[in-house]
Amino acid sequence: MTPKDVTKAGHWDERQVETMVLYSHEMKQNLKGFLIWFLVIVGMCFGCILLYSSVEASLSDMGDIFSQMGAMSKAFGMDRLSVATMGGYFATEIAMLHALGGGMFAAILGSNLLSKEEFGHTIEFLAVLPASRGKILAQKYLSMITYCILFQVIGTLCYAGGFAIMDEKVSAEHLLIMGASQLLMMVEVGSICFCISAFSRKNRMGIGLGVAMIFFAMDVMCRVVPAIEDFKYVTPFYYCNATDIFTEEAFPTGSAAIAVFVILISLGLAGFQYHRKDLQ
Amino acid sequence: MGKNVIEIKNLTKNYGKNRGVTHLTLTVEEGEIFGFLGPNGAGKSTTIRSMLGLARFQEGEVKLLGMDAKTQSVEILRQVGYMPSEAWFYPDMRVRDVIALAAKMRGMDCSAEAEMLCERLQVDQTKKIEELSLGNRKKVSIVCAMQHQPKLFVFDEPTSGLDPLMQAEFFKLILEYNAKGATCFLSSHVLSEIRKYCGRAAIIREGKLVKIDTVENLTKTSAKHVRMIKDGAEEDFIYRGKVNDLLRELAGHDISDIVIEEPELEDIFMHFYDGADEKEAKE
Repeated sequence: MTPKDVTKAGHWDERQVETMVLYSHEMKQNLKGFLIWFLVIVGMCFGCILLYSSVEASLSDMGDIFSQMGAMSKAFGMDRLSVATMGGYFATEIAMLHALGGGMFAAILGSNLLSKEEFGHTIEFLAVLPASRGKILAQKYLSMITYCILFQVIGTLCYAGGFAIMDEKVSAEHLLIMGASQLLMMVEVGSICFCISAFSRKNRMGIGLGVAMIFFAMDVMCRVVPAIEDFKYVTPFYYCNATDIFTEEAFPTGSAAIAVFVILISLGLAGFQYHRKDLQ
Repeated sequence: MGKNVIEIKNLTKNYGKNRGVTHLTLTVEEGEIFGFLGPNGAGKSTTIRSMLGLARFQEGEVKLLGMDAKTQSVEILRQVGYMPSEAWFYPDMRVRDVIALAAKMRGMDCSAEAEMLCERLQVDQTKKIEELSLGNRKKVSIVCAMQHQPKLFVFDEPTSGLDPLMQAEFFKLILEYNAKGATCFLSSHVLSEIRKYCGRAAIIREGKLVKIDTVENLTKTSAKHVRMIKDGAEEDFIYRGKVNDLLRELAGHDISDIVIEEPELEDIFMHFYDGADEKEAKE
């Protein structure tokens, strides 16, 4: 009996088949988490932009001090951009917070997407629905990508709105490059954690957060310790660093290409593992 | 003889070094209500998961509704109503949304049937899953398995957690669907259910099929249920040898009372579970 046969019997209507049922289900499941992370991270960053005028005077006093703090200044890009300007303040402080928050959100989302069904015992309900594992995997992954896009697009728009309110001019091009590269970073971190999730039957949120934090620490450290400079090819926080973008450093295409490769490998491994997994 | 709705040939499924099921072969014909009996860990759920393509088996061939479990599992799942032994759903979802999600995944409008089932099983669709007891979650699981009116039902321990009234209503529904031509594969511990509703049953122990027959034939056996007071002590066991041998063995004892009768299905079930050969003391 095929779906077409059932249609003839008046019982099955193929027009009603919602091909993205699992996608919308996953979007609903993760909406609350997204809203919390988005409001906290983007809210804080937006607030910092609006507070700029009230801290501008003290920042201009501290700008020189911050730029002469040696390794610390180098690590956070304050040797190249002054926190006394809106662009410098945004790139060295706010964008870094946004990147770290976005990376952590993607890590939490990715690390739970598949394994939550097993530790929440909902796998049997999900697995017996008539959908191939590839379809389940693809729609879950797509929901993660959607939230990463929403996080970056709405976040970037909020910051652009904040600059407009403060009547500050910040390069739209820099802002767009920052948003796009941070989106790639979120997808990379999320994909690695998605892969971890496929191999696990337990809650791996802790490991996911650890992955994001280690990558962030790698970026900070590889900027000040020449011996570990090659970490820049490993950590996704390197190619989305706002200070580099706002000072118009050459975009690290090598790191970004590695990121695309890592995303594809993570997705491939997740698919391989998810297909061979038995329901237990 | 009807066509086979379930065909399992030589099914072998292991979880690494752990045993699942070994060389299991059985068929279920269209329109049957088939019982599948076995103790915990016997391999009942493994067999069911292999049937539905949810577990990859190493050997054998499984066909449901003429479809291959390895290559056509999505279509099998679309056309089968499966109720797992554990009734877990997303805790923050409302009952009506869970039921609708299961229907949407089949691309069907099952609202009328779902309404009828919820009414008969007294399911409150407005409640959140996290507010439901095990019994009520089981009822939601029944609705999800039945709402699309499948031709084949597969139930894994369906009545555990249900109160007697709901158990009766559940079997009433099964009989109604069965009367319309549906086949039912019922995995259960509850022998009275099997005896009352199933035409045939299979008994599985330690991953192997030990017996498959009609429920009537399963109870027709040379085994005898013996209850007696021997030498002042009460004894109760299943005897599978010749009655003459039993009488000879008892000749030298003081027997103050003795009843030798046909065993109940429960007795046979216990016999197959424990694998005793000659006689078996009951609890």
